[in-house]
Formats: sequence, C-alpha cells, structure tokens
Amino acid sequence: MSEKIIESNKRQLFPDFREVFRYKDLFFTLAWRDFRVRYAQTTIGLLWALLQPLITLLILSLVFGTFIAVKTPVPHLLFTLAGMSVWTYFSYVMTNAGSSIISSQNMIKKIYFPRIIIPFSKALVGLIDFGITLIMLIALMLYYGIAPTANVLFAPLFLLLGILAALGAGIWLSALTVRYRDFQHVVPFIVQIGLYLTPIAYPAEYATSHLPKWAATLYYLNPMAGIVQGFRWSLFGGEAPNEFLLITIITVVVLFVSSLLFFKRIEDEMADLV
Amino acid sequence: MMEGKYAIKVEKLSKRYTIGTKKADSFRQALGGIFRKKNNAKASFLAVDNLNFTINKGEVVGIIGKNGAGKSTLLKLLSQITKPTEGTIRINGRVASLLEVGTGFHPELTGRENIFLNGTILGMTRAEVSRKFDEIVAFSGVEKFIDTPVKHYSSGMYVRLAFSVAAHLEPEILIIDEVLAVGDAEFQQKCLGKMKSIAGEGRTVIFVSHNLAAVKELCQKGIVIEKGKLVFHGESSAAIQAYQSCHGSQSHYENKTVTTDKTAVKAIALCNQALQHCTEFTVNEPILIDIDLNIVSNSAEYAVFIQINDQFGSPVFAAEKQISNQKMTLEIAANFLTRGNYAISCYIHIPRLERIETLDNCCQFNVSDATSSLVIHGNYNYGPVFGNFKWH
Repeated sequence: MSEKIIESNKRQLFPDFREVFRYKDLFFTLAWRDFRVRYAQTTIGLLWALLQPLITLLILSLVFGTFIAVKTPVPHLLFTLAGMSVWTYFSYVMTNAGSSIISSQNMIKKIYFPRIIIPFSKALVGLIDFGITLIMLIALMLYYGIAPTANVLFAPLFLLLGILAALGAGIWLSALTVRYRDFQHVVPFIVQIGLYLTPIAYPAEYATSHLPKWAATLYYLNPMAGIVQGFRWSLFGGEAPNEFLLITIITVVVLFVSSLLFFKRIEDEMADLV
Repeated sequence: MMEGKYAIKVEKLSKRYTIGTKKADSFRQALGGIFRKKNNAKASFLAVDNLNFTINKGEVVGIIGKNGAGKSTLLKLLSQITKPTEGTIRINGRVASLLEVGTGFHPELTGRENIFLNGTILGMTRAEVSRKFDEIVAFSGVEKFIDTPVKHYSSGMYVRLAFSVAAHLEPEILIIDEVLAVGDAEFQQKCLGKMKSIAGEGRTVIFVSHNLAAVKELCQKGIVIEKGKLVFHGESSAAIQAYQSCHGSQSHYENKTVTTDKTAVKAIALCNQALQHCTEFTVNEPILIDIDLNIVSNSAEYAVFIQINDQFGSPVFAAEKQISNQKMTLEIAANFLTRGNYAISCYIHIPRLERIETLDNCCQFNVSDATSSLVIHGNYNYGPVFGNFKWH
C-alpha cells in the first residue's frame, strides 16, 4: 500500500505523469463530453464545425488567390486548405485549452484530479475537426488529381509539432487566465493576427524574401509558420523546410516544456484563485 | 494491510488565505507590482490553524463546527483540492471525496452518459463504471429516463442519480460534505443506510456536517473545530457535547443569590427524555423545560410565563401557568419545532399588573433534523413549527 504525503513546502517542477496516466480515462471522457456536447446541442452541429473555416478558406482564396494572384505550386484553394487544416486545429486547441480551466472552475473547486488533464483533453477533441478537414483535403486532392509526394511520411511529425505547439500555447494561456483574467481577451487577437502572420494563404517565401535575415528569424518564432509550411511540403512537395525548421522545433519544445512548468506552479493554487 | 495503521495523519496543518483581492487580479497590477515595492501588508487569516490529529483505519469520523469554523477548508485540504500553507498530511489508501453530488454533470448529456462522466471525474475507470452501471441505475430509480438528457430531469431525479454514482465508489477513505441533505426522506434513509454499510465494511469515512443528528447516528468519533483550531477529538457523543459548550448554548440557568423571602426563579434547565441536561435535540424528541422556583406564601398569585423565540428573536409561542409547585416542567412535544436555534425567555408576573422577574433568552437550544419530510428543503426557512394539519 502506498502512502501519499502532501507537504506544504514540497513543490514539484513537472506534473506527475504517472498520475496523469492513471487518470487517462478521465482524459478520454472529458474529450468525449466536449465532442458530444458540441454535436448534441444543434442538429447541424457538424455543419457549424465546417462552416466557419470553410468561409474563411473561401475568402482567403478569393483575396490571395484571385485578387492578388499569389503563385502557389498547387491550386490556391488546395494550397490554402492544407494550411488552414493545421492552423484551425491550432487555433481551436489554443482557444479552448486556454479557457478550459476557467470554464471548469466548478469541478476544480470540488474534486481533485491532475488539472493538466483538462487542457490536454482539448487536443484530442480538436483532432475530430481536423479529421473532417483532412477528408475535405483528400477530396479536393482527388478532384484536382494531385497525389501526395513521398514526403507524406513526414506529415505525422509536423502534426505532432502542431499538437505540441497548440497545447503549449493553450496551457500557458489556461494558467495565465487563472491569475490574470485579462488574458481571455488576448486569445482572439492572437488567432486573428496569426491567421495572417502564418503562411496559410501564401507561400512562406513571400514573407522571408521581403524581410532581412533577422526579421525572417523572428517570423519563424511563430511556430505555426514552420509547421504549416512543413505540413504542406509533406503533402505537395515544393517549398522545402529550410534552415528555419530548427527554430520551429526549438520554439515548440521550449513553448511546450515551459507551459508544463508554469502550469504546475499555478496548479496548487488554482482552486483558491478561480 | 498493517493492523492499526492510520488512514490519515495530519501534522501542523495550516491554511492561510489573504482577504480581499487574491493575488493580482489583472496583469497590469502585476506589472505595476514589479516596479513598485512589494506591498505585503495584505490582511490574511488562518482558515485552518495548526491542526494535528490521526484518523485510524475503519473509523467513521464526524467533523463538526460552526459555519466558517474551517471545516470546508480542512475538507479541501484532505481531498487535495487545495494545498496547505504549512504542515503535512499523510494518507494511506485510495481517497474519494464528495464535496457535492453530481460534479461535472452536464445538462445536455443523458443520464447514462453522465454516470460515466461523473464516475470518471470521481476517480473510477470506465471499466469500473461499466461494471457497476446496472447497480447505480437501480439504486437511483431513474431507469426509465436513463437515456434522457438530465436537463429534463426533476431536481429530485437529478440528485438521486448523482448520489447513486457517488455511493458506488469503492475508496478506502471516503470524505463527505453534508451531501446527505438531499433527496426525499425515503431516499435519505437509503443514503444513510448506504453510508452505514460503507462504514461497516471497514472503510474510513470522514463526514463533515453541522447536522448533529446525522453525526450522532453515523459516527463513532468526532472532531470539533472552532476558528480553524481543533477543540476536541474523541467519542462522537462527547464531541457533540464539546461542540455545544463552545457553541455558547446554555442548557442551564441558575441564580444562587435568590433569597428565600420572595417568589423567584432558582434555576431553569433544558432536558431530554432521559432527563439529562441538553441543548441539542432532534426534531423527533420532546424538549423538557424544568423550572425550579422559590415559593413563598403569596406565590400562587403569580404566573410563570415561558416564551420560545426563534433564532431571529421572534416569538414562536408562549405558555403560561399559575405557580402551583416549587418544580414545574413544560414539555414541548416531539415533532413540533422545526430545525433551528431557539432561546427561552421566562417571566414571573401577575398578568398586566406586576412583573417581578424578567429572564430574557436565559437558555438556548438547537433542534436538528435528519428525518422529517421537510429536510429536503435544506436551509429554506419553512417556519419554526411543523403544522398540526391533515390533508383531505
């Protein structure tokens, strides 16, 4: 029999992953609840999930593809959809994970479980919408008769980077909003500017070729820049991930690891603060 | 399992809260805080103050105390919801805490889905919930509606389903906060029975309540907390007495200075059926008010007037009797007063002519309720008395 000791002066740096694993059923149940609630409330719930990114996609394609006539290796609509799929996943997970602790405050005040499960579960829910966009993407590729390149083997790697980046940002925001409610208003802003500062509707060279080296480096500090570019490269080839990929990987790892550290620091006082 | 090993051991446990703004509420304040000198003059208080106690395996312990005494904070500390400011808690065994029923219930989801949701939140695995699913549904009695979203449930059904999930937890240590005050009388009895059987299986139960009747019925041991400090830890009946004595209730009034030459009250005492001094009654026991008088030759001209006031000081009823004896007893029937705090005033007078003694609120007592049909209404003020009525 194990003895559990709660001490006031003992602080852990990282969440107890063994304990998190013990609560894996809660992780799945919370994800499943979000999914159920999302599609239970409205009869056309699935359609809502599609409609918003679909309209954004059409607008972006109209503006960048038709009005500005940005040159892309594959049809602009397909090019943008590939970028949008990863970006939408990122913004969904970041937004929902970011507000997840505040919106679960009733639970947090009444029962103990590793709090990190809450934002984690959002990463799983987001995959459902991502799956739907992926089906659309495949359909569009069939329509244009474009087969994925052999690079497609790298797609899961970029997806993994995307998940870590989204969780990193979401976990940071969720812990910050517990302390400072102001951060609730920051999230829509990040999503809005991120949509343009990420090479979704245009190839990344359009940005980097107009920028000095130091500014291009800054551009890639947005982890989604490298991830979107890499994900699209793994599907269509062309514009290969360049020397900036390292910046992306480092940023993602730093973002994710630091988010866990910060979350753990706030975790103990969450029930008192929310 | 080692024989006689403790389930919970608490050492030097304290929890401090700051009053008013907790930390910086906005980022701007926090940024400002970097440049300004730290303002540490924030008021704080100890919700739990240096507690030390041990709860052995298999004990059923009631934690009693007034509102704001620190019970809830202690509960949150024991169930790991919040971290102690000082001290250590050692826990031996799997803990489940039940600070409310139906944590995480989602109105849009069906009863079935909420059982899984709530069960996993309470720490069960999905497999465990599946295994006990039929039992949970049968206990709740909402079989027919199990695939209906719970937003369509009546509040009674909702609470029954929620309690049923909780009742089927199988922890070694169960921490419960007054969740018994739910459901109708019949369901309450079912819950009490379930709790008793949990306790009977040798599991450790920590039960927090200010319902002394329930503590009396369920617990062997009691811990009394007052202003965050431990006042008493021992047998539950002794704990209830300790609670009453620090609670300020007076079962007894005595005036030793009474001279023998005039009519006066020597003593007033509140007693239970067993004729013991008592300030804590349950709704289903009679309350005896013993009045001890000094009698002189003209005493029979005077009357004793006893008035019962509720916790707001409003009179509930009064009784009057011509003085006939040195000892007089007023019996308030069982199932008359509803739960709450009451005080007694006693006057000796010749009605509308002369009052020779005034004893305002000289004794106080508390009536608690775990059994009546009105108990489901919780704190709602349904009046001080159970009406004497019939439905036709």
